[in-house]
Amino acid sequence: MKTKLLISLAVTLVLSVAAGAQTRDKVTADPISPVTVRMGSRAPLEIRLHVQPGFHINSSQPLTPELIPTQVLFTPPEDLVIAKVQYPAGVLMSFPFDPNNKLSVYSGAVVVKATVLPTPKAAAGRYTVHAEVKYQACDNNSCYPPKRMPIAFDVKILSAGSRLPKAKPTRTSPHIHN
Amino acid sequence: MNKSVTVVLAVVVGITALLFGGKFLSHPKEAGLAPDFNLPVLEGSQSKTLQLSSLKGKAVLVNFWATWCEPCKIEMPWLVELQKKYGDQGFVILGVAQDDATDQEILAFAHKMKLNYPILRGDNHMSDLYPSQGLPLSVYVDRSGKVVKRIVGLVSESDMEDAIKKSLEQGSPGGNTASAK
Repeated sequence: MKTKLLISLAVTLVLSVAAGAQTRDKVTADPISPVTVRMGSRAPLEIRLHVQPGFHINSSQPLTPELIPTQVLFTPPEDLVIAKVQYPAGVLMSFPFDPNNKLSVYSGAVVVKATVLPTPKAAAGRYTVHAEVKYQACDNNSCYPPKRMPIAFDVKILSAGSRLPKAKPTRTSPHIHN
Repeated sequence: MNKSVTVVLAVVVGITALLFGGKFLSHPKEAGLAPDFNLPVLEGSQSKTLQLSSLKGKAVLVNFWATWCEPCKIEMPWLVELQKKYGDQGFVILGVAQDDATDQEILAFAHKMKLNYPILRGDNHMSDLYPSQGLPLSVYVDRSGKVVKRIVGLVSESDMEDAIKKSLEQGSPGGNTASAK
């Protein structure tokens, strides 16, 4: 009994130390839902990023050329094209290190949208698209080196005649009361 | 104590030491000798490279910056003024660009900011010698080559000036050679 208790305490300690090390990431990404698209058609894609509290990253269009824009760099397989990548507008904010100037930044939740298209020669099947989120984060008095965060998502290409699976009904937020 | 418990505890202590050890031991200790380096000079010196140890006898501020670092830009005009004010007392700033930008881009940035001190090209080895999560990083070195202060992030101009005064006073033959806290 005593041994089991000690072991579980030890495991908890190691896990919490490891978790502490992982929370150093200034930006995280939600898992991306698999995309299903029919040949000759297109499907929407959403990438949800979270900038950790106390940090900000440059928007996709920072106001000075030296600042590193946030970008999602896709490396799709030959059968797919990721098009119309849309970034949210940056929020113009000033920070304690330079109260007189504004920067175009993202903080909190950031949703990047895009469109997934099979190429004309694509074959039906499952594919994995790899991508990198490139960002450079700062807090109120320091900046951190640019990072590339790898992400990936699955795409299922259906033949032209096949039916798309029915979309699952959208769950109503528990915070919304009708 | 049960043998398996001892083993588990030893593993836990080992892992914890590895995870935390790197964090605390890898930083150069204040009051220890500043790690020496020899870096390419992009501008501000006749020589092609500059070695920290060649500046013994002078108080040195090793200021790490990058073109993408907005807080670094804020302190640059202060550094220009502080270099002018304390230069004749033997104070030298070395601006180390820890940046993926090209030499030309770094130089253009330095010209735009009107920097009046040597600009050195940093590298990965410098990140190992002077580890820091963020920029700017300012390491104040006294005349004997000891680190008197290490500051990560933007602080006030007066805080920087205080650290410069300390680095000028300490390590000199007539100055206070006590360790900094």
